[in-house]
Amino acid sequence: MSKTFFQEMHMIDPASGRDEVSSMLVEDGVVRAIGTPQEMGAAPSDASVIKADGAVLAPGLVDMRVQSRFPGYAHQESPTSLAQAAAAGGITGMVCLPNTNPVLDNPDSLTALSKPNARDDAPTPHLYAYGAATKNLDDEAMAELGLLAEAGAVGFTNGIKPISDSLIMRRIMDYSAMLDKPVIQHAEDVSLAEGGEMHEGENSTRLGLKGIPAEAEEIMIARDLALVRLTGVRYHVAHISCARSIDLIRQAKAEGLAVSCDTAPPYYMLNDVAVMEYDTRFRLSPPLREEADRQAVLEGIADGTIDVIASDHAPQDRDSKLMPFGVAAEGSSALETLLPMVVSLYHQGRISLMRAIEMASTTPALLLDIPGGTIAAGAQADFMIFDPNRGWQIRGAEFKSLSNATPFEGQPVQGKVLSTWVGGEMIYSSETA
Amino acid sequence: MKSRSSTLSSSPADQEKLRQSARDPQFFAKLNSEHLLGIEGMSRPVIEGLLDRANQFAELPKNETLPHLKGQTVFNLFFENSTRTRVSFDLAARKIGASVVNVPVSTSSIKKGESLLDTAVTLNAMHPDILVMRHQNSGASLMLSKHVDASVVNAGDGRHEHPTQALLDALTIKRTLGEIAGLKIAICGDIANSRVARSNIHLLATLGAEIRLVSPSTLLPKGIEQMGVEAHHDMMEGIRDVDIVMLLRLQTERMQGTETPSQREFFHLFGLNAEKLAAAAPNALIMHPGPMNRGVEIDSLLADDHERSLITMQVDMGVAIRMACLEAVAGARQGARQMEGR
Repeated sequence: MSKTFFQEMHMIDPASGRDEVSSMLVEDGVVRAIGTPQEMGAAPSDASVIKADGAVLAPGLVDMRVQSRFPGYAHQESPTSLAQAAAAGGITGMVCLPNTNPVLDNPDSLTALSKPNARDDAPTPHLYAYGAATKNLDDEAMAELGLLAEAGAVGFTNGIKPISDSLIMRRIMDYSAMLDKPVIQHAEDVSLAEGGEMHEGENSTRLGLKGIPAEAEEIMIARDLALVRLTGVRYHVAHISCARSIDLIRQAKAEGLAVSCDTAPPYYMLNDVAVMEYDTRFRLSPPLREEADRQAVLEGIADGTIDVIASDHAPQDRDSKLMPFGVAAEGSSALETLLPMVVSLYHQGRISLMRAIEMASTTPALLLDIPGGTIAAGAQADFMIFDPNRGWQIRGAEFKSLSNATPFEGQPVQGKVLSTWVGGEMIYSSETA
Repeated sequence: MKSRSSTLSSSPADQEKLRQSARDPQFFAKLNSEHLLGIEGMSRPVIEGLLDRANQFAELPKNETLPHLKGQTVFNLFFENSTRTRVSFDLAARKIGASVVNVPVSTSSIKKGESLLDTAVTLNAMHPDILVMRHQNSGASLMLSKHVDASVVNAGDGRHEHPTQALLDALTIKRTLGEIAGLKIAICGDIANSRVARSNIHLLATLGAEIRLVSPSTLLPKGIEQMGVEAHHDMMEGIRDVDIVMLLRLQTERMQGTETPSQREFFHLFGLNAEKLAAAAPNALIMHPGPMNRGVEIDSLLADDHERSLITMQVDMGVAIRMACLEAVAGARQGARQMEGR
């Protein structure tokens, strides 16, 4: 059927260690062959040829923390807008949280979410989902994890809420270990964080906003790690944001526990000083922390303690953000800024470009055992072509997402997605966008 | 101890000047903003200008009304219940010649789910000159100021600031003791939930007072020492030799019920009574922004001790301060319009 030859481009594939000028043949949605120009030779006569000078071809980003908002809240994000936003962000795979309506605590809802465009032939970024760890995310009873796993759940989580009850958490960990699925935790002690509006510290005191102490995150992770020792489950902390939490993960890894964590760009790009004007674009969960924490997140990224960068896409409608800070909705539209934010770590000299791609593509695919994250021969042809140096300015108004609230509004960035490909077909091009 | 009588009284000639100064911007206290949102960042000359101006207004005969804000409309928008502040702003606006609309937000569309911004936009369409707002959320007045044409005066936003309260406290102190610089002032009680505390810390520090906070550790917010204050948990030690003991109300509506075991225990440890007051400077004065919880923050007898308590004078100064503040934002507004060539 269709053949496309990507000729003599800089290709990065963290899974195989490829980081050189290469050519790649894609046939019927699969990477047929990839190698140096010498190995690959000329394009087959029946293939269309793509060249892009100065660009990098790499596996599409795999975003392991996305709130889809559908089913149930399609005014905040729809299947179409989510797919378009992801494609514009170079994202070819997304893992959605179960906080939809209905909640993804039953196999049917989970299956329905993963295939929103089943009747549409045009390819879109792949959707995966976590199953709800507890029924209705109420933290009272374990959800049907076994049925959810059979329906395709790639892990279990309470979404934007923690799995709080210790006994329930222990049971979920035991059961998930049996099913060989990871447990993903929003690490926040509920009573310490109750009513919190921003990070607790000098700035919350000045602003008169109720603080959420860093200890709320630290305590939950410390408890969970004790339970990980007890149960042997694979445990993943989502959007880690505090220095001492990162230390805990570092120690747990040294101890040999099967733990991993991700962070999101706001936690290494911004600190709580951003809140000084009560701008609700900076109302996030967890809250923006202080500078020492931001530095610790950067160190965790550099030394490998932090495994993954996820977007933490949490689209909110305009009205939910046009409120006083303390009552405004938490979260930001983040799919379309993920690539430049990840590439910024390379520009800052913190990590290599290959490591940046590994953190936002290869590693999350491996952790959750889902396709993607590589462009080795035989892999599904899900990739992106981007220019790591091209500058642009972030403007929420230009987002494909229905939500345009970004903490990076107006920020000049480097790193632009030129095209995104799923199953060997181009689903986004910056030239026609 | 200085005399309790006013040290800043103005002469009849001054009062005549005051009457003549209507619409003459050079008499206005200078603000660098069309809005009055907080004390933080306000310079000493601005604060002193407002205090001096208010001090003139305080000398006006009770029934006299000035024409300075004639033709201007002030909307009072109180999302949180308040009696004294709302009435004080109402009276101040009338005394300086403005017309006042008290928007009954607690009974109106707000209860029907209309957002703060919808309300603001609706009211904005009626072209008020000044919106005086109290709101339960910190930062609400700043947010409002970004969405309306009117000047916004913050009458208290969440736990953040209550600038006119701090100014009236300062005026009360100035009129009683003269200078604020060098005074030792203890602010006692629920610091964490108090906008009055924050505004007063900024203001009194700017004017050169030595500020101590006396509070249970559970009601002392993290990092407050960075605001240039000394924190104490022992009340006798905290108020030792202070010239003024400023008490705050326990903000039970903003508390979670975990901060203090009981009101009885709070009063035992942090309530002001004659015994604790003895540690302060001789004749030290007592202030409280009201409304008081008698027997919680303050012994009832002390609250009513006119030799020591400035509490009623604080209320009295509120009107004069708010006249000066309304005039100042109107002046800044007028100045800005002239700059724009309107």
